[in-house]
Amino acid sequence: MRIGTAANLRRDLIILVGLSVVYLGAAWFVSNSYFQLIMTLVPIWAAFGVSWNILSGYGGQLSFGQASFFGVGGYTMTLALVYWNLTPWLGIPLGVVMGGIAAVVIGIPTFRLRGHYFALSMLAYPLAILYFMQYFGFQEVSLPMHRNSPVAYMQFSDPRYYTIVAIGLLAISVLVCSLVENSRFGLALLALRQNELAAEAAGIDTRTWKMRALIVSGMIAAGAGGLYACVQLVVTPDAMFGMLVSAQPVVMTLFGGVASIWGPVIGAAFLVPLSKLLDAYAGDYLRGIQGVVYGAAVIAIILAAPDGLFWTFRDRFFKPKAAEPLPAPHPEPRVASATEPAGAVLMKVEHLSKSFGGLRAVSDVSFSIGEGEILGIIGPNGAGKTTLFNVLNGVLPADEGTATLGGETMLGRKVHQVCHMGVGRTFQVVRSFPRLPLLDNVIVGAYGAGLSDHEAAEEAIRALHRTGLASQAGVPAGQLTNKQLRLMELARALAGRPRLLLLDETLAGLGREECDDVLNVLNRLRDEGMTVGIIEHTMHAMMRIADRFVVLDHGAVLASGRPRDVVEDRSVIEAYLGKKWLAKQDA
Amino acid sequence: MDIEVLIESVANAVTAGITIGCIYGLMCIGLGLIFGIMKVVNFAQGELLMLGMFASLYLVTGGGVLAFLGPYIGPFVGAILAGPIVFVFGALLHKFLISRVSGLRTAGSIDDGHFGQLIVTLGISLVLQNGGMIVFGTIPQTVRTPLSSSAFLIDGFYGDATIFLNKAKLVACAIAIAVALILYFALEYTRIGKALRAAADNPTAATYMGIDVDKYYRMAFGLGSGITAIAGGLMATYLSFGSFIGFDYVIIMYSGVVLGGIGSIMGAFWGGMTVGMVQQISALVLPPQLQNAAIFIVFLLIVMLRPQGLFGRSAERA
Amino acid sequence: MLEVSGISVSYGGLRALTNVSLSVSEGQFVTVVGPNGAGKSTLFKTISGVVRPTEGSITFLGRDLLTLSAAERAHLGIAHVPEGRQVFKTLTVLENLEMGAYPKSGRVNWTRTLDRIHTLFPILAERARQMAGTLSGGEQQMVAIGRGLACAPKLLMLDEPSMGLAPAVTDTIFERISQIHGDGVTILLVEQRVAEALELSDHGYVLETGHMVLEGSYQTLLADDRVRKSYLGLTDE
Repeated sequence: MRIGTAANLRRDLIILVGLSVVYLGAAWFVSNSYFQLIMTLVPIWAAFGVSWNILSGYGGQLSFGQASFFGVGGYTMTLALVYWNLTPWLGIPLGVVMGGIAAVVIGIPTFRLRGHYFALSMLAYPLAILYFMQYFGFQEVSLPMHRNSPVAYMQFSDPRYYTIVAIGLLAISVLVCSLVENSRFGLALLALRQNELAAEAAGIDTRTWKMRALIVSGMIAAGAGGLYACVQLVVTPDAMFGMLVSAQPVVMTLFGGVASIWGPVIGAAFLVPLSKLLDAYAGDYLRGIQGVVYGAAVIAIILAAPDGLFWTFRDRFFKPKAAEPLPAPHPEPRVASATEPAGAVLMKVEHLSKSFGGLRAVSDVSFSIGEGEILGIIGPNGAGKTTLFNVLNGVLPADEGTATLGGETMLGRKVHQVCHMGVGRTFQVVRSFPRLPLLDNVIVGAYGAGLSDHEAAEEAIRALHRTGLASQAGVPAGQLTNKQLRLMELARALAGRPRLLLLDETLAGLGREECDDVLNVLNRLRDEGMTVGIIEHTMHAMMRIADRFVVLDHGAVLASGRPRDVVEDRSVIEAYLGKKWLAKQDA
Repeated sequence: MDIEVLIESVANAVTAGITIGCIYGLMCIGLGLIFGIMKVVNFAQGELLMLGMFASLYLVTGGGVLAFLGPYIGPFVGAILAGPIVFVFGALLHKFLISRVSGLRTAGSIDDGHFGQLIVTLGISLVLQNGGMIVFGTIPQTVRTPLSSSAFLIDGFYGDATIFLNKAKLVACAIAIAVALILYFALEYTRIGKALRAAADNPTAATYMGIDVDKYYRMAFGLGSGITAIAGGLMATYLSFGSFIGFDYVIIMYSGVVLGGIGSIMGAFWGGMTVGMVQQISALVLPPQLQNAAIFIVFLLIVMLRPQGLFGRSAERA
Repeated sequence: MLEVSGISVSYGGLRALTNVSLSVSEGQFVTVVGPNGAGKSTLFKTISGVVRPTEGSITFLGRDLLTLSAAERAHLGIAHVPEGRQVFKTLTVLENLEMGAYPKSGRVNWTRTLDRIHTLFPILAERARQMAGTLSGGEQQMVAIGRGLACAPKLLMLDEPSMGLAPAVTDTIFERISQIHGDGVTILLVEQRVAEALELSDHGYVLETGHMVLEGSYQTLLADDRVRKSYLGLTDE
């Protein structure tokens, strides 16, 4: 559990229990059988929505194919009942397991895709399965009646008992979702949704987390499918794998609130009764009104309140709480680099090259960064500085050359692996999770480094103190100033206990005073022994802070050495101001 | 199996594949315009196809076009006229809904606004499918033409084997090719066509040139809608359709466009043609229910193995 | 001809330009130089209309540009050669030039304009049917400039034409720009390469971190050491 989330979990549980009791109470008084059916369907669809929310809401992997798992759950339960006489009490859990397996089978090839390709491919699966089912003759399968021991086979004479089971399913789903949201699982998902590259750079193995999300999602969806089949007493391929089935959780969750626990519940509570009632009263002469309502609802929501009702209301009516004071950090253990004597070389780059087609972006670059020093990497625009970082960081593969950190090679590794080696990286464009408090934004970096929950919290708090952001820990990142956001990125990188920080244009666009603040932080870090490589254009700032410069131009090293020396170097002046300038000055 | 029968089956399948393939090709060009020029993922493209079918139907039966031109030409003229009608519909759709989730507004966002586009067009798709059922009813329709029940016969190339060239499909195929060619020439050689391509290539630079990119996107969307609608009108002469028919063709269209390569409008034509061939030839070995499943499998294979398609440039791979 | 006064631009919290003013008279060659991150491109984009200022005004031939969208401004006779060339990669060289002539003013006497472009940049005639994306950086820059000239503009604006180009190529480009000016086109050039740019111009401005810090004729600026200090971060403030 993340620190501070125990309270959230308690709160969610209380709301869950409260809502369930109220709902069941209300259900008890409903006598019309159609309404009773609606009361049962709402929690089932809500659970289905929760399953989609985990993958696509939190994880950002938009999927139009949730019906695959729904159908797998439904048919597993049904066929087990028909052929093996297996009671749904066991059949539904069996379906859940099958849903998980289906998730792995589907996930392995499909996660190689992204964006709309992913969404469309996920759609193709249930449709293909639908056609196969029709081909195999499973047009319509009815559940056999068990009049002798109905309860043992989940066949209740009183439909209200179904409602109880449905609420049970929803409760489990919501609990799972809450656990996910409040643990590092949820944070990892939000991180990779927001910016997959930055998440990788913070050490998060995005592929694994996506798969986990898909498995959880598939299992819950299969559970919902199994129960749905039980309630409907008959399964058809279209009702289980059809397009409208895949659309339901999408619409509901978008409507109610993506990436929130209660979003799917709100969505289901609104939309299911609405469409079912419309269907009942107007269905005769307005067949298909359900689809129209869903379609219109989703268009209205995405245009007016793109994150869903839950967030719109919360943002408007619930101001964020005042920042709670952070505990002071424990005395800091010396950073791992203390094993090296000060001044020794920490990172060594030799003959590094990287080309894109015909363009040599990085050309035979060699330099080193010593323990505890701040190296400024400068050069005119387009000199290849960010590409250099991208290669060191693992974002791009190198064509030639070596780069080692403390003797171990950095190249040929995935981004999150480089992070685990002890390299912290910031990017030119800062991406935060605007609704999450600053502390959560920072703690992602600690999770990425593989720290336990307790250690991660410690490191995050320490990082916030070191960057001077401790008083803002509880503020949602969306409300931070530019300078604070830059410091947040720095804190996030620090939280991973790095040996080396690679900073990309941290000072860009900051005003004079803000620049000074950030420089003070960097100075303090250097005093504490941190090693920093920083790309910057703001020359006057670099002059004040860098111990040494490396100047790049057209991908190659032009000069390196002490700032004052480098700046007087003729080739550097020429690179910045042009040959003619020098010529005129000499004349 | 008798060799002669085999050859006849294959020959018929191939010719059917080509004729239907051309119509699919036109249909895919419509999506290719929208996807390729505007980079908008339009989930409702199948419904635009459906609207084309119904527009043609009402023009021909209700609007008196049939009465005027007779049953041989009427349905085809109806198909062509469906184009402008749906063009306007598409442009309006863009103006009020699509432009809010696409274009320069969303150009810088994380996924280029695709999330919003997928959702909005999903909503539009649902509304049109189900609304269509309310408005048009549930009885399957066709735009009847006597040509659909007569055929040219080609024989003598191998014993008694005969190729049946359904006349209606042949005319439809010819029209499809003609429309595709007209579009190709317009894009290549007219000022508006070039401006459209420029806006697709680099909207910022196009703006610098004085091109109103929003207006051109609207035109592209309308054009893409209209072209797919014409394909729909043509298909209406040999298919029976209802308001949900678009759905069967969404994946076909995407398969065609992806196969042809994103960004290549004419590539979409070839992609559609290929998908049409696959479908008809698979009919030789697969039962009807599985033919569509085969298309999906083809789609999945393309997207995973060669997402840039035959002629395309960009791809989204992990 | 072009009056920019008191322009301030912010991007979500970042102050890109503060109270910047400049003016270009008809027939002049004006240059704006400054180090990286000074805001030169932002200035260019503000005048083109891609970026909106929070304060200030821009007028061209008496017309208030802020009431017009970016696309509309092009029709007034302002041509843009944007940063990084931004050619239409999938269109041929000739089609690129034709796009430059999109505004009505460009279609008048098109053959004559095209001739002039081909005389300036013969390589564009050679490669007329080649896809612009396959050309080298220097050639693409020529396409971009040619495209700018295609509408026979009153004012030609160039944003860092030397960026990413080898020095020899840059020299050629600047030579041509000078020739264009000689033909009577008013030029506003935004550049990082100080001497090359200033040498050709009538009047220069120096931009540093969003402020206009120096202005004057070519000789005045060349003699002023503050230019060097500003580029190399040696200014004491």
